[in-house]
Amino acid sequence: MTPILLYDGECGFCRRIAHWVQKAATPASGPPCLVVRAIGEDPAALYLLSPQLTIWEAYAAPHVLMPDGSIKRAGEAIAEVFRRLPSTQWFAGIFAVTIGGVQPFQIMLNGATTMLADIRPLFGCESCGEPSPWVKPLLWISHRLKSPASPAPAPHFTTVRPAPAPPA
Amino acid sequence: MNDSDMQVDPITTVTAATFERMVLQADRPVAVEFMSYACAHCGAIEPALQHAAAVLATQERVFRVNIALDPDLARSFAIQGTPTIVLFRGGREAGRVEGPLPTQSSVLAALTDPFEA
Repeated sequence: MTPILLYDGECGFCRRIAHWVQKAATPASGPPCLVVRAIGEDPAALYLLSPQLTIWEAYAAPHVLMPDGSIKRAGEAIAEVFRRLPSTQWFAGIFAVTIGGVQPFQIMLNGATTMLADIRPLFGCESCGEPSPWVKPLLWISHRLKSPASPAPAPHFTTVRPAPAPPA
Repeated sequence: MNDSDMQVDPITTVTAATFERMVLQADRPVAVEFMSYACAHCGAIEPALQHAAAVLATQERVFRVNIALDPDLARSFAIQGTPTIVLFRGGREAGRVEGPLPTQSSVLAALTDPFEA
């Protein structure tokens, strides 16, 4: 079985990264080294894929479902993606380096992953929820620059995206 | 899949097929959360919503509509975003709350205040 990267398909920022990973994981011939899959909206379908993971947990962070049934989450999942992709595996070993009983590079990657998750609303992810306090001023400035006349979006509410127009 | 294998969800999901019978023809007040699993605000209120559903179990039913799977149902109730909690009594809308704070008191108020107005 091939590892499966689960990502938030409603988040434009996540979709762009997932698209890049999918391209990098797909060789010119042969099967991909990693399956990239949006979480979707069906808890039962996700349960069939991974009984230990609820759909709410899946949306809280990126996950990689491993062939042995284990699950890697957040920074650990990103490190696993780097280990699997042919174009990044040359440096991915650094995340396993242990110094004095800790893995400093994995810790740095965990921090970077948390920071990236925090700043997703700046890149237009309205479904990503309440921004972290440090992101709120940046989000307010970003919103004012993009559309100075319209009011800021409500803080605990995700506006429904209009359905795409049917083809003419 | 065996149903007993999956974690029991205390809030029942209703669909376009079951909405009429379970919500509009219900014999007691009903609260319906229009939500989507991709909406982090919905995830944030979920624990408080489950707590409120348990507290109000004898007075009120709480259901969920996944607007990603039932967009027409959301459109028919003019849902502008998620989470939106719509209260029904006797088959008619009694009120609605958009984007409640993810606290137990706020969600409990969203499920009860419109009925008291």
